[in-house]
Amino acid sequence: MNLAFIIIDDSELDCFIAKKIIQQNDKSTKVATFTDAISALRQINDNTDIHSNLLTIILLDLRLPIMSGFEFVEEFERLPVNVRSKYVIYVLSSSMNKNDKSRVDSNENIIKMLDKPLTKTSFDVIMSEVGARKI
Amino acid sequence: MYVDDEQDNLFGFKATLRFHYQVFTAIDVTQAIAHLDANPDIRIVFSDQRMPEQTGIDFFEAIRVSHPLPVRILITAYTDVESVIDAINKGNIFRYIKKPWEESDLFSAIEEANRFYVTNSLLTVKHDELQKAYNELNKFAYSITHDIRGPISGLMGAIDVARDISDINEVKEMLYLMEKSLKKLDMYVINMNDYYSLQRGELVIDEIDFNEIFEECASLFEVIAKVNKVTFKMNVNQNEIFRSDKVLIKMIIHNLLSNAFKYQDESKTEKAVEASVEIMNGSATITVKDSGIGILGNHIGEIFNLFYRATSQNVGSGFGLYNVKTALLKLNGHIEVASVMNQGTTFKVILPSI
Repeated sequence: MNLAFIIIDDSELDCFIAKKIIQQNDKSTKVATFTDAISALRQINDNTDIHSNLLTIILLDLRLPIMSGFEFVEEFERLPVNVRSKYVIYVLSSSMNKNDKSRVDSNENIIKMLDKPLTKTSFDVIMSEVGARKI
Repeated sequence: MYVDDEQDNLFGFKATLRFHYQVFTAIDVTQAIAHLDANPDIRIVFSDQRMPEQTGIDFFEAIRVSHPLPVRILITAYTDVESVIDAINKGNIFRYIKKPWEESDLFSAIEEANRFYVTNSLLTVKHDELQKAYNELNKFAYSITHDIRGPISGLMGAIDVARDISDINEVKEMLYLMEKSLKKLDMYVINMNDYYSLQRGELVIDEIDFNEIFEECASLFEVIAKVNKVTFKMNVNQNEIFRSDKVLIKMIIHNLLSNAFKYQDESKTEKAVEASVEIMNGSATITVKDSGIGILGNHIGEIFNLFYRATSQNVGSGFGLYNVKTALLKLNGHIEVASVMNQGTTFKVILPSI
């Protein structure tokens, strides 16, 4: 598959589930998981070992310690275009808060918000939306 | 307080009232504002209308913004009815008194103004309490989706995924993560109960035997210390009677100790937690020191906030230190934190005997 994934979620269980769902579809898909947003950002910034020429889908939780999901997106927006263009962001959250929802909807760097954890159905939604996209 | 540019009037005013109330007098607006700044408990401000630098009405309009609490009463000999009516309608003055004044007028004005002041103050206090309760309710509503619905959705998702996993080791790994998630949910509920009892509960003051409390904690934490290979030391130095609320003190010590074990640095070979208490001159100093991961300097100010978590390590609910802070507020105590990143954190709690 010409796609890679980064999962940012402080719940290890939800990371595990997302990884399983993704790899049940294609075992060879590269998946990196982070329990905090800062390490994820650092990896994206260094961009050394992370799937350098694959389109990478970021599955981002909102309520994270130290750096929240929204703060992550703000930092992400400061990255150079040639780095950003390799990533697409989906928010995965159990939040039912309307403010969160409208903040996600109004942010052009986030494709949409999906309920947490990832399911086969929501995975199929992501695949149909970006699966065919190229960098 | 009374402001008037004529010294005689100030004397007369003070002479009439000084046996009944604490009276401040001011010869001009500058002195009046200095009094207001230095004595925030001034309840009623009288002012003459005609003064050389500023009229009484203008003065009231200004202090209504800078010192909104005191009730404002104008004293005037002149018949500037228009401007007085205007000032009353704008809410800048509570009432006015004719000059020269009748003593009975002064007393009845003060009585009524004071009643107004007290009612207003009570209302402000209640309003602040309500605002605080609303804010916390909002935080709760938000946290419930994350801290309660989060683990539930996670477990349901895990069950769903498990149907397609045939490798027993993977299932075991997932069971371990599911258990972790459930433990976190369980802790959330326990802490929420602590939170609620703290907010609503009354203090029960009793003699405190710190030896007994520490022994109780020791039996609980020694197991954790053993499993995680942490050196655990406790020291009690109590030679005098100490009175306080036992349940709250236990809760404080329990929270600090559980944090000390929770935020250990797994990569260190020498892990340690030290707890001590010393009672001297009616004051107890409880110290809990760990060799853990430490707290970043710019997060220290926030760690006592409800639902704040400074690290992704381990299962914090964001309740613990908030509950500690609330308990300390009730017991008139305070807490100090010293922390060095990667070296450890020391919490020091100082409590008075009640």
